[in-house]
Amino acid sequence: MNDSTSVSALPKSGGVSLKLMGMLAVGLLLLVVCWLHLALGAKSIDWALVWQALFNYDASDSEQILVREMRMSRLLVSLVVGAALALAGVLIQAVSRNPLADPGILGINSGAAFFVVAGLLFVSGSRSVSVPLLAFSGALFAALLVVMLTGRQQSSGRMILAGAAVAALFSAMTAVLLLVDQQGLEKLRNWLTGSISASDIRKLDWVWPYLVPAMVGSLLLAKSLNAHHLGDMAASGLGVKVGRLKLLSLFVIVVLSGSAVALVGPIGFVGLVVPHMARFVIRNDFRWLIPYALLLGAIVMVSADLMGRLLVRPYEINTGIVTALIGAPFFIALVIWRVR
Amino acid sequence: MRQLTFNRPIIWQPLPGMILSTRLMDILWLLVFAALLVACVVWAVSTGSYGLDINKVVQALLTPEAVPERQVNLVWELRLPRIMAAVLCGAALSVAGVIMQAITRNPLASPGLTGVESGASVTLLVLLILLPNALPHYLLPLAALIGGGAVAAFVYILASLRGFSPLRLILVGVGITALLSSVSDLLITYGDIERVESALIWLSGSLHQVTWPDIQVMAWWSIAGLLVWSTFRTLNLLRLGDSVALSRGVNPKVMIPVLLLLAVALTSAAVATVGTLSFVGLMAPHIARRFCGDRHGVLIPMAAMVGGLMVLLGDTIGRILFAPLQLPSGLVIVMIGAPYFVFLMRKMRH
Repeated sequence: MNDSTSVSALPKSGGVSLKLMGMLAVGLLLLVVCWLHLALGAKSIDWALVWQALFNYDASDSEQILVREMRMSRLLVSLVVGAALALAGVLIQAVSRNPLADPGILGINSGAAFFVVAGLLFVSGSRSVSVPLLAFSGALFAALLVVMLTGRQQSSGRMILAGAAVAALFSAMTAVLLLVDQQGLEKLRNWLTGSISASDIRKLDWVWPYLVPAMVGSLLLAKSLNAHHLGDMAASGLGVKVGRLKLLSLFVIVVLSGSAVALVGPIGFVGLVVPHMARFVIRNDFRWLIPYALLLGAIVMVSADLMGRLLVRPYEINTGIVTALIGAPFFIALVIWRVR
Repeated sequence: MRQLTFNRPIIWQPLPGMILSTRLMDILWLLVFAALLVACVVWAVSTGSYGLDINKVVQALLTPEAVPERQVNLVWELRLPRIMAAVLCGAALSVAGVIMQAITRNPLASPGLTGVESGASVTLLVLLILLPNALPHYLLPLAALIGGGAVAAFVYILASLRGFSPLRLILVGVGITALLSSVSDLLITYGDIERVESALIWLSGSLHQVTWPDIQVMAWWSIAGLLVWSTFRTLNLLRLGDSVALSRGVNPKVMIPVLLLLAVALTSAAVATVGTLSFVGLMAPHIARRFCGDRHGVLIPMAAMVGGLMVLLGDTIGRILFAPLQLPSGLVIVMIGAPYFVFLMRKMRH
């Protein structure tokens, strides 16, 4: 798999140094957003204090505790979730060749959420093991259902409809469970709309073992995805086994979106918006698209969380609702301008 | 090279489905479903927390004078409105589903894609959760109707901004539905939990508050269903593609908006009466198609009966399954219907 044998299957767009510069700029933006995330909120905290909390921690100061204990863990969770969802979006759009695909729209998130809710109601035992596994199996089940309903024909419209049907199905079934168990509704209604505040940093430990291999794996898939972008025929001509590529991507997507759901509940539209933002900068070279999407996904998620906290402070809007309120108009705009 | 067959007479053949050609099997199946529907209605009247035997039910329905007044009241004032509403709404949703699937030429289209259901839901959630005393209770269905209609109009406008196409319509519908469902999530998550629960039960399709005036309104709206039936030929042609339809004298540019309007009318009437039962509109047409294929002249009445049966069964099973607790019929339909739907779609993968 060294460079001399692989075919770089892309139009050259801009030099490497330009892309690196862009990456640097995006990274700086991410740092700024993270800083704002730590400093702003229901209670705004002086910038010097944030600095102190980060590098010169004084556990007796209540504001520093707030930064370090509350906002820091929230920040980490949203970074991870944003990156995972954006990556899942890139892969799902690449594999299905459908620019409108997204783990939320295709029902994968709601499948995972349904399995988690059902599992929490009926299975007792250690949550740290069961929740991620439940989420993965739900995501896998939903993804297979969508694939099945879409059928062989590569129609993006049909795929989106299949996804919408699956999403509606699973959210209705979740509603059944919650109506039967009304205390569950009280506890879970926050999580079910995708809320970073309902998560905490300990949950990150649940998903690390799955998330890191999935992210590394997606980077390894980049070259094959480049070939796949040229079409099935060209890809197999270049020595890529398309079936295997799709299967591997499916597993990576399932793990990525399942982990996100296990952490914070179903959050949609990040996977839709971020790949388009990244493609604005990088055309279709997945070796660059994937790292860009990771950073941009983190930026989008952190700023969505920040907006959710700032818009109605001292209350807050769940992050999943913020992303949907911004992402759905984006989806509609894409349909109006890009479909046919 | 010139074709040598020159003397062949041109026989004008109607396209399949141009005329309402009834086959014996169609009539048979229609009769079977009608009988099934009547049987289910009688069964639904007889079951409940106060059981009645079948003979009593038939007597109360046919000759109310001969039966004690209490039982007549039970049948005519409590159970029958609910059953009629279930049948009418199921039929309306199912016919709307047939229209949507024919227009979009997509077997996965459902009447909810016009945005009617999500619009009605959000209107209702706002009224029930944020402004609980703004409107008297009997005006709520009207409000839902207006909300649903407004959103459907908005979806249509967005879909035809840069030239209308069925694909755009369904995709914009998906987007608007996602947007509005996040608004309802917002209300559900932050609303007062008591009000949220009652709103949720309404939303998932429950029929326990239906009265005769509601049925009358619903029956008027059902005329739209008859109009749809009269356009079965147009639907047959539209399914074959715009150019075929155009060549046979059907202008899709005129007929698609008209049919959409009918679908919206049917859906919004059903949603306003019983809440969202989106799955019926997706599934009932497919079940009906198993018996008569894609000929809309037969498909429409068949789908109407299947839809009515589905909602009626869902509601009745929801009443008796965990009695005295009542499950909303929408949820029962999803629970039973979803696996069957997946099975059904697996068979037609193309």
